[in-house]
Amino acid sequence: MPIFNPEIETKERKELLELQNERLQIVLNLAYSHVDFYRKKFDEAGVNPDSIKNLEDLQRIPFTTRKDLMDNYPYGMFAVPLRDVVRLQFPMGLYGNPIVIGYTRQDLKIWRELVARIMVGIGITEQDIIQVAFNYGLFLGAIRFNQSAELIGAAVVPTSIASAEVQLRIMRDFRSTVLASTPSFALHIMETMKRKEIDPQTLSLKIGLFGAEPWPESIRQVIESNLNIKAYDIYGVMELVEPGVAGECSARAGLHIFEDHFFAEVIDPHTGQTLSAGQEGELVLTTLTTNAYPLLRYRTSDMTTLHYDRCSCGRTLARMDRVLHRTDQMMSVRGINVFPEKIEEVLVGTGIEGVGPGYSLEVTGKQGMNDRLKVLVEVSPEIWGTKEERKIALQEVVQSALRRALGLRVEVELVKNRP
Amino acid sequence: MLKIKNIDAFFGKIQVLRRVSLHVERREIVSLIGANGAGKTTLLNVISGLHPSQNGSRIFLDGETRGLKPEKIVALGILQVPEADKVFNPLTVLENLELGAYLRHQDQGQLVPEMEKVYQLFPILRDRQGQLAGTLSGGERQMLALGKALMGQPQLLMLDEPSLGLAPTVVSEIFRIIRSLNDRGITILLVEQNAKEALRICHRAYVLDTGRILLTGTGEELLNNEEVKRAFLGKDYRGKWER
Repeated sequence: MPIFNPEIETKERKELLELQNERLQIVLNLAYSHVDFYRKKFDEAGVNPDSIKNLEDLQRIPFTTRKDLMDNYPYGMFAVPLRDVVRLQFPMGLYGNPIVIGYTRQDLKIWRELVARIMVGIGITEQDIIQVAFNYGLFLGAIRFNQSAELIGAAVVPTSIASAEVQLRIMRDFRSTVLASTPSFALHIMETMKRKEIDPQTLSLKIGLFGAEPWPESIRQVIESNLNIKAYDIYGVMELVEPGVAGECSARAGLHIFEDHFFAEVIDPHTGQTLSAGQEGELVLTTLTTNAYPLLRYRTSDMTTLHYDRCSCGRTLARMDRVLHRTDQMMSVRGINVFPEKIEEVLVGTGIEGVGPGYSLEVTGKQGMNDRLKVLVEVSPEIWGTKEERKIALQEVVQSALRRALGLRVEVELVKNRP
Repeated sequence: MLKIKNIDAFFGKIQVLRRVSLHVERREIVSLIGANGAGKTTLLNVISGLHPSQNGSRIFLDGETRGLKPEKIVALGILQVPEADKVFNPLTVLENLELGAYLRHQDQGQLVPEMEKVYQLFPILRDRQGQLAGTLSGGERQMLALGKALMGQPQLLMLDEPSLGLAPTVVSEIFRIIRSLNDRGITILLVEQNAKEALRICHRAYVLDTGRILLTGTGEELLNNEEVKRAFLGKDYRGKWER
């Protein structure tokens, strides 16, 4: 398979590390001089940025967490003034305690190339027609498929949240060769095809590019055999860039991390100790080239393992195992990230006495993928004892509050508070 | 070709370079821009061995150059054209060019074809062969300095403010020449106040700020970088509200 940027993607590891080191110095300087948060953090930890000489020294820098990003809303993490920013993104929505990420024009140019690298690496060319069935409204990464496809000259059919039947019709009308979506939506399309008795041979699909939720190998096999395609995994971190941090190549031996732009470490999530290659732990990323929003040692909450030996595809870039679980409670429902702490925030935010804050979640879906989210909200005995109409009204209030906050339709059921 | 890693440098107790890392690939033009006192000239002097550096490493063509005397570094192929005192004023143009080949210990006859190349590049120097360098105009002196450096057959040519003090028409001529030297296979590390031109002709650039590298990118990327525009290209504008 061709390689989009062979100079970088197949660079000798020694040279790649030198490049990372050079860029690390720059991002440290930038973060320390331009971001108050980092200056304070370094000073409090007693770390002089000038004493960080190499990638190993980086371990002395404290981690950055999602809470830091929330606490420093709106611009506390920005390294450039707002006027240099050309795009703002709110990866956790606007409700409650949001985080906001800024990108300069140059940042966007870089991220556009990264998804293009993945596309080229799995055989997508200018001849391809990419049907993007991600939710453009809620999944901020969807638009990146457009930009990267434009870069390599492929065509994009942005079908977004159209129903599976419409997707299939368009797939046929435009002879889409690539489907980019969540794996659970691919399963949904697959089942619709079965129901409608559509033969996959009548479609032109050959490649699936799936991400935004964890999907095990067993799901990959089901999708591949039923849709008659090759399915590849793509990885991003919503607080940095999503997707485009890493992606599979044709060898499918892990996801190549774009190490010219990110320095990756894996740590023990409990002790914070850096782990070596081959050991599973939490992925920690340092941006090496970001202008607007540099992050140093950002804890992604994603569990993975790193491998540094050369891949059979020829790339020297490190590979990470596919992410199947996290260190926090976040879950992905139809590709949309749901943070349970947000649910509690919403329940308290309704201000109705006796509703919450206790709750439990039920997720259901095809083949064990998360498709539907049901929130079982605990209510006080007083509410539990009231008339059915009142309970239904309350249920609707909670449901619409959750929908606004999560950006996702959820089912709500009131349950009696267990003392 | 050149790899600088984590260099520190001092003037007495004052630290002027802080863990500077940069690299120059063969056949590249790399520009170094920054305000006065950022440490640009010191960095060139460190690379050519004129100023001591602490810590880190300076690899040229896979060999460590730390601890080498300047003349050894010149012999390796790193030539610096300094900002001031770049030619020997009391000597003629011809003598200056001959001196440029001094380290190569060759007799004059062997130098003729090389001198011919320099004259082709700078026809004015042929006309001024016998003239004392001190009587040349600023532009001619700069050309002589470049010609003298070329006589040393450099692999890496380091130019310190080649456009300083020159008339605008001469400045564009100098930049044209720098580009043509690069086309002939000479790798160039360029320090310039004229950030716009330096970014236009380079492949990549670094921005040095009080001894630290703060930004890097291709020339085009940095020309479009808002911070570079404000700091070096004289652009300031307010649209979105200030922070």
